[in-house]
Amino acid sequence: MNKTLPFTFFQMHPNMILLEWQQEPSSGLLQELLFLKKNVKEHFNGISQITQGYCSLLIQWKDAITNLSDIKNKLIFLYWSLDFTSIPEKSKHWNLPVCYDKFFAIDLELLSSKIKLSKDAVISIHTQSIYKVYFIGFLPGFLYLEGLNSRLFFPRKESPRMDTPKGAVAIGGKQTGIYPNQSPGGWNIIGNTPIPLFDPNKKNPCFAVPGDTVSFYPITIEEHQLILTNGNPLSYLKEKK
Amino acid sequence: MIEVLKTGWHNTIQDLGRFGYQELGVPSSGAMDLNAFTWANKLLNNPSNASCIEMTIKGPTLKFHQPTYITITGATMPAMLNSNTVKMYRPIKIQKGDVLQFSNVTSGCRAYLGILGGFETEIILSSKSQYKGLTLHDQIDKKSLIPIKEVPFIPKGAVLKTPLIDYQSIFLKSYKGPEYKLLNTQSKNRIKTLTFTVSRNNNRMGVHLEEKINQKLPEIWSCPSLPGTVQLTPDGTLILLMRDAQVTGGYPRILQLSDDAINLLAQKTTKDQIKFEIKALH
Repeated sequence: MNKTLPFTFFQMHPNMILLEWQQEPSSGLLQELLFLKKNVKEHFNGISQITQGYCSLLIQWKDAITNLSDIKNKLIFLYWSLDFTSIPEKSKHWNLPVCYDKFFAIDLELLSSKIKLSKDAVISIHTQSIYKVYFIGFLPGFLYLEGLNSRLFFPRKESPRMDTPKGAVAIGGKQTGIYPNQSPGGWNIIGNTPIPLFDPNKKNPCFAVPGDTVSFYPITIEEHQLILTNGNPLSYLKEKK
Repeated sequence: MIEVLKTGWHNTIQDLGRFGYQELGVPSSGAMDLNAFTWANKLLNNPSNASCIEMTIKGPTLKFHQPTYITITGATMPAMLNSNTVKMYRPIKIQKGDVLQFSNVTSGCRAYLGILGGFETEIILSSKSQYKGLTLHDQIDKKSLIPIKEVPFIPKGAVLKTPLIDYQSIFLKSYKGPEYKLLNTQSKNRIKTLTFTVSRNNNRMGVHLEEKINQKLPEIWSCPSLPGTVQLTPDGTLILLMRDAQVTGGYPRILQLSDDAINLLAQKTTKDQIKFEIKALH
């Protein structure tokens, strides 16, 4: 075989191997990571969990690894045996209601004046894009979303706000995201969604999984209130496909 | 039932942790010093995941409304049962109406109060470990009532066979992290030889060190991080991630602590000293 392996191995703990791809994040790489992760779980025994970043997978075993070279060879063999070109497209699309009213959008005024776009233009650009869920981290249910239109890039705040509210939709640098719970946060708040992103009492606490796509649709403050007080806010989440 | 008459400093219910939910952004949590935690349950012949109260610096004052057995492990935290001092690392019989009271730690940082059968608090995502935003309570509240099990005590006999961690030790056994190779010789030498000081910023999420590393590494694409990961921030601060740490991070990971080192670090507090002891994995 003349093909070069696209990832490197790094053992960072007796129980853990880190696989790292030396490339920029892309949706192609994301598909590869998710597909490999699923297959590693199926083909190896004794794995406690696999976590994922933009360009890496961290595989954790329950016990210390005693046969590193065997595991490496098995991983390489598994990788080459997989057909990444025929990954079944099972991802879902979620359309989330967001209220961009100034009551919630406390940083929209500043952001719109600094990037020289009207508030309506910011909302329109923000709601027209499709965002891809790369992984979940930072807080329970915080989706790392890719796909923010470069016209809306805006740096994080110099010092984080101590109490970014639950449901806040925000822009930080080249990213947009939703705060699943009240927390400190340095991103600029441009709206709020009444949809709960994380419910620890549910069997599936988070409706979205990596690989899914997300978009936003604007609602009024009255509609926001209505959804919040409705017994089943998730029914306002429009799932497509 | 146990009544909390007075709260201590930072007292939380912990078990072995919350596993299998890191993919949803949920930290693993669990007892900071898993060694002391495990002993608390072993001495009572409890299931290994029975919950304990993790008592940081100072424990609470508790009134027992039913008979049971308890044990205290971890940091040296003097305790009085009614008006008698109690010893650590052994089962202690409790009568209905007894009051248990703690003073400040005299050595170490976190002690564990184990109870027969564990504390019967809420289970969220397969764990009782309290974590803000996830469990209803993020610590033991004053005047609250904590339910406990009524189970018979079957003494195990065997106690303290394996040596305990030496809490006075300052050596944290560590492995090279994925970005260690980006450090220059001067930074590597500093990390290997310097005695570092734990800063005031130390809690269940992470421990910041006072001495800085004078090298700015580029940020990396957000990637998995976990308890024991040692991050280097752009201003040169080393952050040693602990049990409640975020599951992903964008700071370079220059070291990974061994499991024993995490347990030892759980017993260090502000102004305590530590030294890294870097070991090869193979």
